[in-house]
Amino acid sequence: MSGSEELEDLFENAPCGYLTLAPDGRISRVNQTLCDWTGYPREHFAGKRMHQFLNMAGRIYFETHIAPLLRMQGFFNEFALDFVTESGDRMPVIANAAERRSPDGELLSTRLVLLRAADRRRYERELVDARAIATRTLASERETAELREQFIAVLGHDLRNPLAAINAGARILQRSGRLQDDKELRVLDMINTTVTRMSGLIDNVLDFARGRLGGGITLSREASRPLEPVLEQIVDELRTASPKRSIESSFAILDPVNCDRARIGQLVSNLIGNALTHGAAYQPVRVGARTEGGVFELWVSNAGVPIPESAMEKLFEPFFRGDVRDSRQGLGLGLHIASQIAQAHGGKITVTSSSEETRFVFTMPTMDR
Amino acid sequence: MASVIERNNVHVRGAGSRAMVFAHGFGCDQNMWRFVAPKFEGDFNVVLFDHVGAGRSDLSAYDPGKYSTLSGYADDVVAIGSELGLRDAIFVGHSVSAIIGVLATLKAPGMFGRLVLVGPSARYIDDVGYVGGFSEKQIAELLEFLEDNHMGWSAAMAPSIMGNPDRPELGEELTNSFCRTDPEIAKAFARVTFTSDNRADLAKVSVPTLILQCKEDIIASTEVGEFVHSQIPRSKIVILDATGHCPNLSAPREVVAAIEAFV
Repeated sequence: MSGSEELEDLFENAPCGYLTLAPDGRISRVNQTLCDWTGYPREHFAGKRMHQFLNMAGRIYFETHIAPLLRMQGFFNEFALDFVTESGDRMPVIANAAERRSPDGELLSTRLVLLRAADRRRYERELVDARAIATRTLASERETAELREQFIAVLGHDLRNPLAAINAGARILQRSGRLQDDKELRVLDMINTTVTRMSGLIDNVLDFARGRLGGGITLSREASRPLEPVLEQIVDELRTASPKRSIESSFAILDPVNCDRARIGQLVSNLIGNALTHGAAYQPVRVGARTEGGVFELWVSNAGVPIPESAMEKLFEPFFRGDVRDSRQGLGLGLHIASQIAQAHGGKITVTSSSEETRFVFTMPTMDR
Repeated sequence: MASVIERNNVHVRGAGSRAMVFAHGFGCDQNMWRFVAPKFEGDFNVVLFDHVGAGRSDLSAYDPGKYSTLSGYADDVVAIGSELGLRDAIFVGHSVSAIIGVLATLKAPGMFGRLVLVGPSARYIDDVGYVGGFSEKQIAELLEFLEDNHMGWSAAMAPSIMGNPDRPELGEELTNSFCRTDPEIAKAFARVTFTSDNRADLAKVSVPTLILQCKEDIIASTEVGEFVHSQIPRSKIVILDATGHCPNLSAPREVVAAIEAFV
């Protein structure tokens, strides 16, 4: 092929459609590729105008956007059109157009390059659909979330109030010293146990729900106030609530710990609660905490049947519950919330379990870095 | 609230006692008049503006309720006219703005003394005994296409343009905003435009009116232009030797000559 034949062939059989418009907007030339794609013979194009090959929307688009923009700026890139082919099908294309002008600015011709774009159009369509679905879903999610938030606020309030009343009643009975009978005292113990458990469950449920709402665990840290009394108090409460169980504690918190004391209290309460539930009933639960080398470490251990390997990785997932052995089983949120509190403090909880001992260890930096 | 001048990106140029207001149609913005308006700056106070939602208008002023009818757009024209203190001005409206001008003239008698309607259509959809050029189905298809081809249109409406060495008169900052608009607004404007029916308003127009009609216009055909002519009492029609819907761009010389002869 000679050079000019090569060029002619490139024009005619290029892998894109070429179309030239005369200054009056009539088609003056098309290439073979466009004829092949549309199914129209070359003569069919001659003298016709662009809009005659477009669907109605494309016509209006062409007349109101493409044609004026071409005149105003001399070119227009990447516009979408649907060609109507000889068989009546639509052929989506992406087109670029440029005007050819004389030195004095007269329009000589307008050239268009057309690329088939069925896949691209389908992809765009899918994106638009996906966005529409996402927008709808988001709106309904927001609505649900709002309802949920209200529900949780009401739930928290309404559950805590009666519980506080029961607690106060039990305390009055205890202080009055009127209950002497063993059986009566056992009932009082049971009430205390239940109130403590119930209160912990409500805290966990509310925290979990808030966390799921995107609020997460919020902290109000204070390093200046001592942590040890808080931990002692939690242990005391749990002792009162489970008078038959032995909880041994040893705390040596010598450095200040920059933490949310109430949250750490909740964490230790959850870990001890877990140990009481799953540990051997006649063996003590041991709790310890210390600071060393800029690290605060807190551990809770119990004896009993080790945690099965298969359960290990799911321990901290919400609503995970081990083998249900007794009615003390909770919602399965305690360890999850504990791990969330640990993470919020930049720390973590690890667990080891053998036939001798199951031990949860929480570590966090004493100071926020 | 921003002033009307800022809201509608109003520009006043030229030296003349009489004002000539140019209003763009569906599609682009006041740049549509760039080959026509400057020719009148010697003898007229040329006023150019963008409809709210188009060009460099204040998009935050777009109120879907107000702009769900052409009357809302006409109110803006009247507001601009009041702000500029226009009396006996000439209103030149292209495409849908031709009808917006008709409505503005009826709302504020005395503000416009003459109307120039370029490619007007009082109704795009065919009706019993009336040819609008489009079937109801075709307009529905258009509106569906706008819904469908969201990306194509928005890409077309916000072309990434570098400069334009061929046409230094087109500043870079202008090229970027020609036909750019929010796709949602474009959809709404298309709906208002192509579903409008203002045939009954034409007979109320009492000012001298010039209709400029292109020979081959698929948006507003010659029949449609002739209908407008037949309904407006003091109107005359000039058929331009131009094709397409935008003679202000494709045949600016003819447009200028016809307007000059009219005023």
